[in-house]
Amino acid sequence: MARARQKEYIEANVYEEALDRIRYLYDTFDNIVVNFSAGKDSTAVLNLALIVSKEKNRELTVNFFDEEAIHPPTIEYAHRVCVNPLIKFNWYCLEFKHRNACSNEEPFWYCWDKEKEDVWVREMPDNCITSHPKFTKGMSFQEFSSLLPEKADGLTAILTGVRTQESFRRLKAVSTKKNDNYIARESHVAHCHPIYDWSSEDVWLAVHKFKWDYNKTYDIFNQTKLYNKFLGQRVCPPFGEEPLRGLWIYAECFPEMWVKMLGRVKGVATAWRYANTELYGVGKKVKPDNLTYREWSAVILESYDTVDVNKIKKNLNSLIKRHYDKTNDELPDEEVHPLTGTSWSFICKISIKGDFKGRTGPALEGNAITAQKKLGINSFDEAVRIYGSEEYKNKRFKNK
Amino acid sequence: MKQPLDKITWLDREKLKPNNYNPNKVAPPELKLLKISILEDGWTQPIVVNPDYTIVDGFHRWTVSGHKEIYALTDGKIPTVMVETKDASQQKMATIRHNRARGTHGVLAMSDIITSMVEEGVSGEDIVKRLGMEKEEVVRLLFRSGVPKSDVFKEAEFSKAWKPK
Repeated sequence: MARARQKEYIEANVYEEALDRIRYLYDTFDNIVVNFSAGKDSTAVLNLALIVSKEKNRELTVNFFDEEAIHPPTIEYAHRVCVNPLIKFNWYCLEFKHRNACSNEEPFWYCWDKEKEDVWVREMPDNCITSHPKFTKGMSFQEFSSLLPEKADGLTAILTGVRTQESFRRLKAVSTKKNDNYIARESHVAHCHPIYDWSSEDVWLAVHKFKWDYNKTYDIFNQTKLYNKFLGQRVCPPFGEEPLRGLWIYAECFPEMWVKMLGRVKGVATAWRYANTELYGVGKKVKPDNLTYREWSAVILESYDTVDVNKIKKNLNSLIKRHYDKTNDELPDEEVHPLTGTSWSFICKISIKGDFKGRTGPALEGNAITAQKKLGINSFDEAVRIYGSEEYKNKRFKNK
Repeated sequence: MKQPLDKITWLDREKLKPNNYNPNKVAPPELKLLKISILEDGWTQPIVVNPDYTIVDGFHRWTVSGHKEIYALTDGKIPTVMVETKDASQQKMATIRHNRARGTHGVLAMSDIITSMVEEGVSGEDIVKRLGMEKEEVVRLLFRSGVPKSDVFKEAEFSKAWKPK
């Protein structure tokens, strides 16, 4: 991936600039679609797109991918948006595949799984779309929404509420190009992130200033210990690796739905009790006294079923390979290696969380930098000179 | 000093009535565990009531006491003690104190205690059943102590043999 560019601040504020971006999208694309999650970020995108669609007297399509186990006020909000006559609102209830990080025995689940209708956490809403010729069970909504636009209908821009404040991965995604940096086009479909530079505070400022309707789940978050902790206030499927740390919100605030959630997928009661502890890979590194981290990783991995464990092992193997591509040093057991950022203790942590998407790359870089600083090493190249294998040094320095 | 526990009275469960403010919600898994607890250990604590038999503490124990098996243990009688609360607020406070004045189990201590049960010969399935835990919880608590899943949850059958198609 190309390196991220630095930020250059400009005269316009994020609100004016986002409107201009959407105007540009309306002028460039034949169809504008908002991928709406009912979260605060897509609320901002939706309202901005509505302003521009009125200005230009053009149509606005909104796709809502209902993921079944969602907070009750989210559903109420979607119902309110759904009836807006200026919007063509598509309410999809499809069998999307989601991570269930609560359980190592059942690491994935499908919302609205037709085989499990008896344990759905709620009834399907009226007038929703429950099948589509382009949909097959197990797709992600991102995959499906890219397939939706027909080539015959021209160019389609799909607007999302991605913001760079949320993660480095997202920052990188909108910082590699100088022009049209918020538009990622593939063939006749483009994914566009018009509010990429907004902060959470910007989103809330817009909501209050323009009196936009919003998802009242956030009001409930603010009545709990998540008060004003914007980054912890997430409207998303509840059983994923990060979201499961907020299961207590369902238990505390929505007890009726919570009872259903306990029976919906495996591991929910366990994750609710231990999500923020070492049993789910949170906090300090700890291991059984009688094992090394290397030995312990085998014990942890054994708790997964065979098919799933192979996916995790594949990611772990590539981490280990990347280590030995750079150095001849033995992979350390506890402290991460200053050049590669890996160690068996780190592998244990990933094993507990169950990284199915292989998203550990950026963490490694961070690990390595921290380790280098501790040792007084000031640059990656210096670390390569000290710890790198001859082959890697040659590769790295041959052009310099 | 006289204490409520000095006088435990066995009453017909029908005589008691729930209060209308109890904030404590108990989800099905814990309710089930409560049932197991009474069935395995018997009645170990009285239900706390005020003089008009409104429940101050023990609403969920009272609820499960209506289940057939538990009802049969004592012919529908349940142990009660009476507290004299001076007003509605004091009664509500008593309820909250009973609900909240209990600790949480530390991860490491739970992990050790489950591991020791396994060493004492209790099977994984038995722990799941008698403690109302998910298998997931037992497996995670055990791997925290370094005990592999396969040591405790033995596969009952050989896996399927195969040959090339």
